[in-house]
Amino acid sequence: MVISPVLQRHPDDSWTLADPRTVSQRTHRVFLALADAILPASPRTETTLGDVTRHALVCLQYMPRSSAMALVAGMRLLNWAPLWRFRGLRPLTRLSRGDVHRHLVAVTQSRWLPVRALMYGPLGLFMSTYFDQDYAHRALDYDPVPFVEERIELRRKWLEGEEPGADQEIHHLPVVPP
Amino acid sequence: MSILAHRDYRAGQTFDAEVVVVGTGAGGAVAGAELAEAGRDVLFVEEGGYHPTSSLNPYLTESIPRLYRDAGGTMIMGRPPIPYAEGRCVGGSTLVNGGMTWRAPERVLMKWETLTGQSDLGPRELAPFFDRVEERIQAKPQHPVSVGDDSRLLEEGARRQGWRYEHNRRAQDRCVGSNQCLTGCPTGAKQSTLLSYMPRALSFGARCLTEVRVHKLWVERGRCVGVIGKAVNPRTRRCDIEVRVRSKAVVISCGAVQTPYLLRGHRFGRRNPQLGKNFLCHPNAKVVAIYPFDIHAWQGVSQGGQIREFLDDGIVMAENAVPPGTAAAQIPFLGEEALEMMKHYNGMVMTGVLVDDSHAGTVTRGFDGPLARYSINAYDHERFLRGVRLLATLHFEMGAKQVVLPFSNMHIANSVDDLRRIEQTQRSRSTIELFTVHLMGTCRMGADRRSSVVNLRGELWDLPGCYVADASLFPTAVGVNPQVTIMALATMIAQRVKVPN
Ligand SMILES: Cc1cc2nc3c(=O)[nH]c(=O)nc-3n(C[C@H](O)[C@H](O)[C@H](O)COP(=O)(O)OP(=O)(O)OC[C@H]3O[C@@H](n4cnc5c(N)ncnc54)[C@H](O)[C@@H]3O)c2cc1C
Ligand code: SF4
Repeated sequence: MVISPVLQRHPDDSWTLADPRTVSQRTHRVFLALADAILPASPRTETTLGDVTRHALVCLQYMPRSSAMALVAGMRLLNWAPLWRFRGLRPLTRLSRGDVHRHLVAVTQSRWLPVRALMYGPLGLFMSTYFDQDYAHRALDYDPVPFVEERIELRRKWLEGEEPGADQEIHHLPVVPP
Repeated sequence: MSILAHRDYRAGQTFDAEVVVVGTGAGGAVAGAELAEAGRDVLFVEEGGYHPTSSLNPYLTESIPRLYRDAGGTMIMGRPPIPYAEGRCVGGSTLVNGGMTWRAPERVLMKWETLTGQSDLGPRELAPFFDRVEERIQAKPQHPVSVGDDSRLLEEGARRQGWRYEHNRRAQDRCVGSNQCLTGCPTGAKQSTLLSYMPRALSFGARCLTEVRVHKLWVERGRCVGVIGKAVNPRTRRCDIEVRVRSKAVVISCGAVQTPYLLRGHRFGRRNPQLGKNFLCHPNAKVVAIYPFDIHAWQGVSQGGQIREFLDDGIVMAENAVPPGTAAAQIPFLGEEALEMMKHYNGMVMTGVLVDDSHAGTVTRGFDGPLARYSINAYDHERFLRGVRLLATLHFEMGAKQVVLPFSNMHIANSVDDLRRIEQTQRSRSTIELFTVHLMGTCRMGADRRSSVVNLRGELWDLPGCYVADASLFPTAVGVNPQVTIMALATMIAQRVKVPN
């Protein structure tokens, strides 16, 4: 199916997306380790981790400098979660995905709000990008483009005077459940 | 020349206009369009970009940095911290909002009348402004073709509980329920200011400088005579070209966080102690129900109606379907567990409890941006717990198999019995998870300079020639979606702006 030009993922309205923020190699490794543990292991493509972390770095460019720096510092602090959780001496970048995952789950469930808050940024940045990809959409059986295209067409006809009828209503439930 | 962008500016450039309006959202676009229609030479200055309907699409990855401030990473500090969202584009937050149009309730406007001691903000005086706005943005009920099953399910649930449910009136022209309001309506139905007031303003000769962040007012001999900003390079995001606008009057409409931030950068004689105070934000708690059957909440208008049974207690409940990327960022799971949960996306009904503020926070200047501070109090906390329990109960009675609650120490409820634990486990305000999209009240309007920031013409008490027309004018929270009230006040202010010869 041809995707209509109005629903392009990278719309061409002469507006440019920012270049990613430059960070040190070490910080980049922290981003990769966190993304790897936060995102589901599958479905992924070869470029998933690279794409998701790159987009996180693009998003940082849209924030005030201090917020972007605080976010990066928070992630660097997370990298040392094993140390401040008294569970080990090695940073997350040196652990297996499973171990990183366990540390991050514990941080997410911490009793202490400032500790939990460390996960807000990475979760928001990585999850929202991952679950916006076509392969992730397929895993959820979510396919917005054909639906939106059908609705655009419906409205076009409506503007031409053809008012939609009951057969155009959106019904998935046969009846509202008892 | 009508709409300019970064590539069009030259260093040291100064534009002239009769009135400069900073911001093109609910307040700015309306004030500017009304002034242009009245024959004024209006120039808008907008920090965000211009994104026509043809460029809007259902993908979050680019829509968020294009359309939202700080790529959606904005946060109110407090207990608990509250993430918030606001638009940064031509159209401001109206481009990404849900389009709901509820007038401020009469009891709220009566209170405003009492607080200010003048009838200007009362229900009778504001009624013609509301009428005018609603006509321009085509506020009306939804056509049945646009309503989805999540709305029907919530309505039926409310009916079974014996609660009042009211259908939304929305700013739309033939909305077909594509449910993309939060990434910008791709069908052209939603009457955001991008499609309603801005074209109107441009047709009356207004001009718009986009991708320019205003960082200073231009003040001469105690009067505001323009603004000074910097164009934001889209690729590097550096503010690299200075742009000045000289005018006879200035209208600031940057929203309730950015407006006080801009104004607090100046000292106009005395520091107005009210500036940045009275920050209100209608916090929301998410309640996501998972049903054992497909609902496809992503089809059909994002919110068909609201449960208004508890409006007098300041509690409103409604559904609000968000794309999977946003939903996944809010659920409390990582990795495979997150995917397992998200596989139920088609069976999810995403609802929320909105609580009307009983107290206020502040907005001050932080290191390189505004610092918003706000903590919920015990009364608001208690109303959240009650609202969440009631809404989750409704879901279980409608057949939900699981409900994701907004509590960090109790995320999952599998039955109504589990909900009994809410009051025991939620003693601390730190465990509730909130978010908001309604920011209000930091430059309140009034008749007394000691208790307000602007007078009843919208002009700063301390800086002649400088007006405010946005959500920051609200003396108190409205308890309902605020855009039409902002627009009504902006219409009123546009009629009161004085442009010296
Ligand atoms: C996701 C979402 C859903 C919502 N749903 C609804 C709803 O259904 N119904 C409803 O009534 N309300 C809703 N709202 C709230 C409503 O949209 C806002 O309350 C309203 O738009 C605020 O109007 P405003 O003029 O104060 O600010 P905005 O509409 O936010 O406009 C401010 C503008 O000023 C610009 N700006 C800021 N600082 C500067 C600067 N220094 N220089 C240049 N430009 C600047 C910004 O880029 C922005 O375009 C929603 C909001 C959001 C974010
Ligand atoms: S539901 Fe779709 S058609 Fe209706 S206003 Fe929202 S985005 Fe536009």
